[in-house]
This record gives sequence, C-alpha cells and structure tokens, in this order.
Amino acid sequence: MERINELLEKYFKGETTLAQENELKQYFTSNKIVEAEHEAYRALFVAFGEEKKETAPISLSGALVPQHKPRRFWIKTFSYSGIAATLLLALWIQRPQQENDYAIINGRRIDDPQYAQEYAEKKLNAVHEMVQNGLKPLRDVEILKKNIRNSHRNSGYKNETIKSDKTQIINN
Amino acid sequence: MNSKQFNTQILTLSDKLFRLAKSMLRNTEAAQDAVQELSMKLWEKRKNLDEVENVQAFTMKAMRNLCLDTIRQQKDESELPAEFEFHELNPYQQTEHKDLAGRVKNLIDNLPELQRTIIRMRDVEGMEIAEIAFITSITENAVTVNLSRARQKIRERILSEQKHVEETIWKG
Repeated sequence: MERINELLEKYFKGETTLAQENELKQYFTSNKIVEAEHEAYRALFVAFGEEKKETAPISLSGALVPQHKPRRFWIKTFSYSGIAATLLLALWIQRPQQENDYAIINGRRIDDPQYAQEYAEKKLNAVHEMVQNGLKPLRDVEILKKNIRNSHRNSGYKNETIKSDKTQIINN
Repeated sequence: MNSKQFNTQILTLSDKLFRLAKSMLRNTEAAQDAVQELSMKLWEKRKNLDEVENVQAFTMKAMRNLCLDTIRQQKDESELPAEFEFHELNPYQQTEHKDLAGRVKNLIDNLPELQRTIIRMRDVEGMEIAEIAFITSITENAVTVNLSRARQKIRERILSEQKHVEETIWKG
C-alpha cells in the first residue's frame, strides 16, 4: 500500500507519468474494496473513467462530415448528363433541315438555289430602278434651282425674293 | 485530405472534441454547436490539414480557441451571468447528487477554465504534457503547475466533503 500512497503524493504534485496514473486508475477501478485511507479518492479515478465514456451525440457525427456530398455529386452528374443529352437530341433533330436550304417565292417552295438567286437579283434590280426613277424629279428640281439662281444673279434680284421664288417652285 | 481521410481522422476525434467543448462551455448544446462549427471550418480547409503533423493536437487546439471565443462573446454580450455560467450546487443539491462520478464532475466544473481543461486532458483523455502545452499555448512547466493546482483543489474538496459527510453521520 505504500506504493499507492507514494503514487498518490506524486499524483497531486503533478509529477506522475501516464503509466503511473494508469496504475492508480487500475487500482481504484478494479478493486471493489480499497484501503480506508484511499477510499476518498476512489470517486476521483472512477469519475475520470466515466467521463471518458461520454460520446458526442449521434447527430453530431453526421454533421462532422457533410454526408450529403456524395449524393449531391450523383444528382449533379445525372442532371448535367440529362441536360447534355437533351441538347444533343435537339441538335440532331435540327440538322437535316439545315442541310436543305430553300426559298419561298410567291408561296411556292423553290429548292433550286440558282433560280432563287437569279430571281432575287431580278427583284433587287427592279427595286433599284424604281428608286432611281423616284429620284429623277428631285434631280430636275435641282437643275431648275441652279438655272434660276444664275438668271437672278444676272438680273440683280434681292436674296429675299429669290428665296420666296425658290419656295414657290419647290411647292409647285 | 480527401473526404475518406477526413472521415477517419477527424470523425474519430469527435468524442474528444465534444468532451473538451463541454468541459470548457459547461453546456451540452453549446458544445454540440461548437463541434459542428469546427467541423465545418475544418472541412473547408481540409486540403491544408495534410500539412499538419499532429492532427489531434491541431484540432484540439482549434477547438479550444473556438470555445475561448465563445466564452469571450458570452461575457461581452451580457454583464449578467452568461447562459453557460456554471452555478455551484447548493448543499441540498449536493446531497442529492449521490453518484460519485457526478460529484467529482461537479468539482472539476468549478475549477477555472484552464485548470479544468488541463486536468481533463490529462486524467480523462490521458494526453502527454507536451501535447497539452501545445493545445493550451503555454509552457510544459505551466501545464504541470496548473495540473497540480487543479488536482490539489479537488483533493481538498473531496476531503472536506468527506469530513462533512462523516460529521453528519456522527450527529445523526
């Protein structure tokens, strides 16, 4: 028993090694009856063992590692591959239509690209001609204005009358 | 550190981390929150954990610092005794506290934070002085001094309680 007394003295001074402390724990927990002088300390060493049994609540271990991570990985993989498959399918469906270009002329489907091009050129030329014809009167007005300006300069009219005349001509 | 390594290395520490947090905060729910918070922080920085030599000591140190922050916050937020503030059991409650382990737990919980953390790391978790010094950021000598003080205080209280019990029995 002297050994235990000695160890206890060292223990309270903080001088025991881990092995010696284990020896004390062993003595107090395995013997049901200890020396009367040691009885008071039994609670201490029993308590240490009891405290070590306390575990983190179960929910905690679940929270420690985000357990949903692998599941989320599969959800992501499936949804992304689903989106990719849909896109591929959509492209595949549209592809043959893109290869056969056609034009609609007068409500008729034209598959001959040469004919369509010629037709378009013809129409564009017609539009050009129409625009040119439309601009012709304006060119005439320009010539008329020029002539009037020259004749006024020769006859010495004031600017104001020139202006009013010009307006009249344009209005006519 | 990948998720599998994280699982095996950190998850196995969850009980120890929980006990440390509970000892420091003296509140089960707060300890649970602290472990969850820490595990999330560690998960985010799991890549850096590969560089850590002693994962247990590093994680325990991180846990202690997190709990110290919580204690500080509690003190800042209210001048009234914080929610986590521990109230010593009155004599009636003490006599009701029949199980020995519970009584010792109560005695340890009444020690200053550093002392109760150190005594539990050593006597409950069986950690080396050097590791405790690293976790608590003090010298090994300071750890031994605090450990010795904590053990002696517990001894005094156990002996005085025993004396009180003996007197009661004798009077009765």
